[in-house]
Amino acid sequence: MGIQEQYRSEAAALLSSGEVKLVIGFGPGSTADRRRPLFARTPEEAEKLVLDPACISNLTTYLVAGGLLSDGKKVAIFLKPDGIRSLNILVSECQVKPEQVVIFGYAIENNEIRPLSGRSIGDFAEIGSKIRTATPPPAVQKEAERLEAMSPAERFEFWKEQFSKCIKCYACRQACPMCYCRRCIVDVNQPQWVSTSSHTLGNFEWNLVRAFHLAGRCAACGACDRACPVNIPLRLINYRMGKEVKEAFDYHAGESSDQKPVLASFSQDDPETFIL
Amino acid sequence: MIYTPFPMRVVSKRAEAPGVNTLKLEFVRQEDHEFFKANYQTGMFGLYGIYGEGESTFCVASPETRKDYIECTFRQSGRVTSTLANADAGDIVTFRGPYGNRFPIEQFEGKNLLFIAGGIALPPTRSVIWSCLDQREKYKDVTIVYGARTVADLVYKHELEEWKQRDDVNLVLTVDPGGETPDWTDHVGFVPTVLEQAAPSPENTIAVLCGPPIMIKFTLIALEKLGFTAENVYTTLENRMKCGVGKCGRCNVGSVYICKEGPVFTAAEVQAMPQADL
Amino acid sequence: MTRILPKNKLDDCIAAWQKAGYSVLAPVQRHDMSSFDEVQKASDMALDLILTERTIKDHFFPQTEPLIKYKISKHDIDSETMTPPDKKRIFFGVRPCDASGLAIDDPLFGWDYKDDYWFRRRNNSVIVTIACAEADDFCMCTSVKLSPDSTKGADVMLRPLASGNGWQIEAVSERGTALLDTVSPLLQESSDQAAPVPQVAEKFDVEKVMEWLADPANFESQFWKDISMRCIGCGSCTFLCPTCHCFDIQDEGDTYQGIRRKNWDSCSFALFTMHTSGHNPRNAQSTRWRQRIMHKFNYYQGKFGVNSCSGCGRCTRQCPVDMGITETLQAITNLPR
Repeated sequence: MGIQEQYRSEAAALLSSGEVKLVIGFGPGSTADRRRPLFARTPEEAEKLVLDPACISNLTTYLVAGGLLSDGKKVAIFLKPDGIRSLNILVSECQVKPEQVVIFGYAIENNEIRPLSGRSIGDFAEIGSKIRTATPPPAVQKEAERLEAMSPAERFEFWKEQFSKCIKCYACRQACPMCYCRRCIVDVNQPQWVSTSSHTLGNFEWNLVRAFHLAGRCAACGACDRACPVNIPLRLINYRMGKEVKEAFDYHAGESSDQKPVLASFSQDDPETFIL
Repeated sequence: MIYTPFPMRVVSKRAEAPGVNTLKLEFVRQEDHEFFKANYQTGMFGLYGIYGEGESTFCVASPETRKDYIECTFRQSGRVTSTLANADAGDIVTFRGPYGNRFPIEQFEGKNLLFIAGGIALPPTRSVIWSCLDQREKYKDVTIVYGARTVADLVYKHELEEWKQRDDVNLVLTVDPGGETPDWTDHVGFVPTVLEQAAPSPENTIAVLCGPPIMIKFTLIALEKLGFTAENVYTTLENRMKCGVGKCGRCNVGSVYICKEGPVFTAAEVQAMPQADL
Repeated sequence: MTRILPKNKLDDCIAAWQKAGYSVLAPVQRHDMSSFDEVQKASDMALDLILTERTIKDHFFPQTEPLIKYKISKHDIDSETMTPPDKKRIFFGVRPCDASGLAIDDPLFGWDYKDDYWFRRRNNSVIVTIACAEADDFCMCTSVKLSPDSTKGADVMLRPLASGNGWQIEAVSERGTALLDTVSPLLQESSDQAAPVPQVAEKFDVEKVMEWLADPANFESQFWKDISMRCIGCGSCTFLCPTCHCFDIQDEGDTYQGIRRKNWDSCSFALFTMHTSGHNPRNAQSTRWRQRIMHKFNYYQGKFGVNSCSGCGRCTRQCPVDMGITETLQAITNLPR
């Protein structure tokens, strides 16, 4: 039995026994190379689950949307390592109770699916420990290096051009599992902290605010980047912020579910180089 | 241009109830005033604004029989209304309108009128009330049923007193249970209940009903019990609006654009709308 | 014999138009994104794209539009109404779906109160449409009763020659005729055949869809909840749509001066309809998705006699969770009757 079939039947069993109320996985998409999120509420619906190398989205976004877990019931979810990393962050930020989530873990390697053993977040400690030594995807690495080699003025020009495309749809926020605020700062209007208009200033304000809010919290899943309808390379910003946090605090977001959020905790050993 | 408002000068401000104020506004420019006089009819609304904060939608609370100024009454709640509430006499604010449809008061002629309002919804009703009282001879019996949560929340207290004194107006005042003061001599109870007790006759009567959704819902039931048909009950809907002229796409209930086809509807028209979208 | 515009005359054409006072905008690929932007020469254009990611709507109803400039001092306020630049523009290489989008939005911006910001730009623009030579999996113009060579919204229609050497060219409006007069020496008579128009399969039955939507009993159908469960409310579909026109009006500036602006807004956003009281008529993502579909295929039709969709397919093409109008309307088409 292939991994897809195995997970399907396990998902069906969880649903028919009533252990979980919902399975969040993938189903066929609108074209041969697309997969879309699928919500299975019955064993029959679980039969439609698909698991193949095209299943790339990070589904943890749904765990924190619309009060899904507020009834205390359990949910099963298909997660690859970046999703597990996101879940670690969400648990560490007290947004998700780990006992409410059953994980169907998988990794995509050489265009093939490999199952990850374990069902609860605690079983995936190995995934977390690998984050320390992991290297970013070659494409990200290459672009990041190109940007870092630029002079500040060149880099500013690069981002100015990229941000000039922003249309303030906030798709990056909506797609991001870490953007779970009930009321985002851009939606607050008394006072209006961030301009709603997508002109140069407004676009900079938004993209920088988001970058700062994700510093030390980003699982590098790329959901924002994929969701951006105007192709702003958002993962490069988040990569850089992650790097800053790593260098300053030796902190890797999503390493484990019991780590303390880096910018919300204090340690006497924290470097104070930023204090003038 | 389409989104350019009229500058208006604040003549006076009156505190009506906790957090509720009335501004009396006069036109700065003659041509704006002429436009308003030519177009305003009772029931229409406008977008009131302050540069730097934005615009907010509410009705014109003054009647079509008094067009020398605009009165608006609003509860201080968001960014715009909080700033408007701080305006003083002499300050410049803006007005865009009048927009929307109206209460067809010439069709009400020769009929009894029953006005029912709850809380902050007296302002739109008051516009019709005065439009009719200012030509009192055209209408038969006039009954006003008005309720608020507490005595303090009643707006236009000086006018309530005036209506009470008039012998050609039957005013029924009520406050919600617990909202009365020791010296309160009027009714205590919710508007639908008090309305049923007052039992106005539906015979040759038009009802104008404005209030929060929950009050509308139960008052409609009471009116039906009293024998009113939905075609003879008028109400005004308020939704979030930005343009006021049928473009910005947010005020519709089903296919009905409140800003263009409303805000005044008969209860029958409201009942035909998808209720889940209200 | 038909008139053709040879490809090697395009540079001369642009120069002639520029000399006549026009800016020429065409599909370009810049900063990892395709959109319409000003070009100086033919090689700036990305005419092989099936469709630009951004629509030409951006140039008629920009994402942020200054309406009024204001200055506040004690007891006095100066305000000045701002108007869009009055520059003559040619949009070259517009796809039929995008051109149709403009025509679809005209009645909305024009009913009763005329939106001058839209119409000034409409009036100073000439739309040169190029019929499609290719379609992708997401194109759905035929499903909404348009076609890859529809002239709706166009002033000039170009049809690519089978040889690839140019386009058959034809004016389809008075404005188009006037535009071609400015370049008539560059046009040639030729018997070259136009390339075949791509086959775009009909993906749903729009008549059946409209009938289902018109039934009030379906307004509260479970269908809406099921179909929109994965919607994350990002609004990309609305911002990339050639016909979506919802907006917000916002004041921006400091205490003493600023600008009142008309900014894009989206029915997908929770705050779009929220009252100050906290009551929200469309408080769930499913009700917002229903609004989008109903607006496009029922309400708009009722008001203006046309559906508010030109079949470009961007909503599905760009959706981060693979939703879109096509899937929903397909599902409605296939519902048991």
